[in-house]
Amino acid sequence: MRHVLKKGLLSMGAFAFVTAAAFANPYEKFEGTTIVVSWPALSHFKKAEDLVAEFTEETGIEVEIDALQYLKLRDRQLLEMSKNEGEYDVVSWVVMWKGEYVSKGLLTPLSQFYTSGSLVDPNYDLDDIADAYLQNGGVVGGKKGYMPGKSGAMYGVPFGAETSILAYRKDIFEEQGLKVPETYDELRDVMQKLHEAGIPALTSRGKTGHQITAAWLLHLAPLGGKIFDDQWNPVINSPEAVEAAQVLREVAQTGPKGIPTFGFGEAAAAFLQGEAAMHLDTLKIAAMSRDPKLSKIDGKVGYALHPVGSRCGSETGGFAAGIPANAPNKEAAFLFLQYMTSKAGDQRMVELGGDPVRISTLKNNADKFDEYAVVAEQLPCADPDWRPLIPEWNELNIDVLGQALTEVITTDKPIQPIMDAANEKARAIMEREGYYLWQ
Amino acid sequence: MTVLTQSRKPRFAAETMTPYTFITPAILVILGGLLYPVFMAFYLSFYDWEIGRDLAKAPFMGVDNFVRMVQDPQVWEVLWVTLRFGFWTITIEMTLGVALALLLEKPIRGASFFRTIFILPLMVSPVVVGLIWRYLFDARIGWINYYLGAFFGIEPQVWLGDADLAFFAIVFTDIWQWTPFIFIIVIAGLQALPSEVVEASTIDGANWYQQVFLVKLPMIKSILVIALLMRLIDVFRGLEVMLIMTGGGPGRATELLSLHIYNRAFDTQQLGYASAISVLLILIVFAISTAILTMANPMKSKSDV
Repeated sequence: MRHVLKKGLLSMGAFAFVTAAAFANPYEKFEGTTIVVSWPALSHFKKAEDLVAEFTEETGIEVEIDALQYLKLRDRQLLEMSKNEGEYDVVSWVVMWKGEYVSKGLLTPLSQFYTSGSLVDPNYDLDDIADAYLQNGGVVGGKKGYMPGKSGAMYGVPFGAETSILAYRKDIFEEQGLKVPETYDELRDVMQKLHEAGIPALTSRGKTGHQITAAWLLHLAPLGGKIFDDQWNPVINSPEAVEAAQVLREVAQTGPKGIPTFGFGEAAAAFLQGEAAMHLDTLKIAAMSRDPKLSKIDGKVGYALHPVGSRCGSETGGFAAGIPANAPNKEAAFLFLQYMTSKAGDQRMVELGGDPVRISTLKNNADKFDEYAVVAEQLPCADPDWRPLIPEWNELNIDVLGQALTEVITTDKPIQPIMDAANEKARAIMEREGYYLWQ
Repeated sequence: MTVLTQSRKPRFAAETMTPYTFITPAILVILGGLLYPVFMAFYLSFYDWEIGRDLAKAPFMGVDNFVRMVQDPQVWEVLWVTLRFGFWTITIEMTLGVALALLLEKPIRGASFFRTIFILPLMVSPVVVGLIWRYLFDARIGWINYYLGAFFGIEPQVWLGDADLAFFAIVFTDIWQWTPFIFIIVIAGLQALPSEVVEASTIDGANWYQQVFLVKLPMIKSILVIALLMRLIDVFRGLEVMLIMTGGGPGRATELLSLHIYNRAFDTQQLGYASAISVLLILIVFAISTAILTMANPMKSKSDV
């Protein structure tokens, strides 16, 4: 009995060896494998489900998707990735979590796969992916730990990455005889004029915590502000930072009702339902405004560059995807990532109503969609230091700034003392975490 | 003499052991399901740990987390929010619940219909309650703003984005959901009252007021205490509804103690510090429960059984 079994196993082994030598395509080896993908329940990713189905059809690799509200991903992924053996083969993170994930040793460096000729598609062309997206979402450990730099290593590829552009209602601007704002002074002027005309001006996130901080950061970069100076001293009470908070207060006063309760979804909905004249946030709004299920304003939206203050500076954010250190099917996961972000995959995402990450895709489709030319022009301004993507950022983001800025928009207290107090709190956190030991 | 003790001893042991044998499974469940997590919370409160790091290598903090907690104004702020929330909700719920029970106690026409209607909110899961009221209170699309505007001409309010209004909103929601709980417990108590006593008081000429406050309510005192105790513990435990309606915002206006612990533990990944605050929570709930039970213990009369 045992003998027979042994023999059977041997012959099976030999069979496997023979087939291994005769694979017809790079995917065949993984046919029948099921990979589990954790990503957000956002429009871009819903559209991507069709491309996932095409991937399965073409490669025989089954994909199971676990989609969650995007801010809930972190809890779930951290739990899963800290097990000895995880469920997830692919995780998609908001760029601000990359430092934490890598410092905890939870991700697989992609160099492990780029050394394998049987996995890497020679036509993939990594350089074609917008550099701002790749560096911001996928590369960890460069300058200051999160910016481009020689010490950095690649852990993820951008998928659903974004920068910010201004979306405005062409019909309302025409009707009111307004010029599309190019600078912050013009933007603030337009907000006042729209408000006086009884039209809610600029929609914005404003919910306590991560959301309101994101809204403020959108104004901080172009107004010339930063979170830290080069010695990790917090500068969130600088004149620029206070001015950004002042802009945010004006946005809340002149925008649609309810900004202090808006997350990304609510802020976008206010614009898409025609209850705000402008949306100054992620470029994702463009594809969303073309989706009849989400939008009542298709065809009425124009796009322009993120207004400039003392410099041009737009958001670097959105998502990148990588492979957990404890993923059961790492190679199949790599093939999946490569397929989704390949030139053909990127083009399919555009056709399905998602957002591209490649410069060539933006160029090839520039005549189809109004915003693509704007995005291509905006990308060089995407600020890699838009927010410090350090592990401590979560606490600063939610607990310090998220609280202080709520006070800014829900009260009319002077802003400088609020930001001074926040700066002290931020300094205490950095002190606790040992950032000043080198000084 | 020796024979006597020998024959008695095993019988004595068997008799006393039987009840303990029967409660052993329950004790094991409590040990595993309740005491172990509480013990772990204590243990974790002495460490600095984040999910994703090795617990065995987490740095030992001593009592640092507790020192930080005592000095942390945010903890006292949310404790104050929790106490205010508890005061308003429990006071109004107890009053309303008892009043409704007294109203619907008598077999009036349609009483069973109203009873069912009143109990419905209790059946809804807290997550759904949070969602329903979040959208009802929504500034842009909420029905509350719509009807206040349509019938009373009131300007639309940002209910969940203003510190006072948001606090009102969560108190209102809690009252909506939990008044039926008081109602159902009190009405059960009232119906179990011996009719002789009530009849006797009627014959003695007691008016309605006297009957309620001198006869009925004192007789269901122990039930009222249990209801109060459960609501009080719920206030300190409650999290889901606020998490969904406001997330604790704006600022910390609606951040109850347990939600604060949740945010600390998962948003900012300070599980050790969050555990230290949970220890505070356990102590507070323990103190309140003990105080109420000492003042009015429903089991007191039976304690010698």
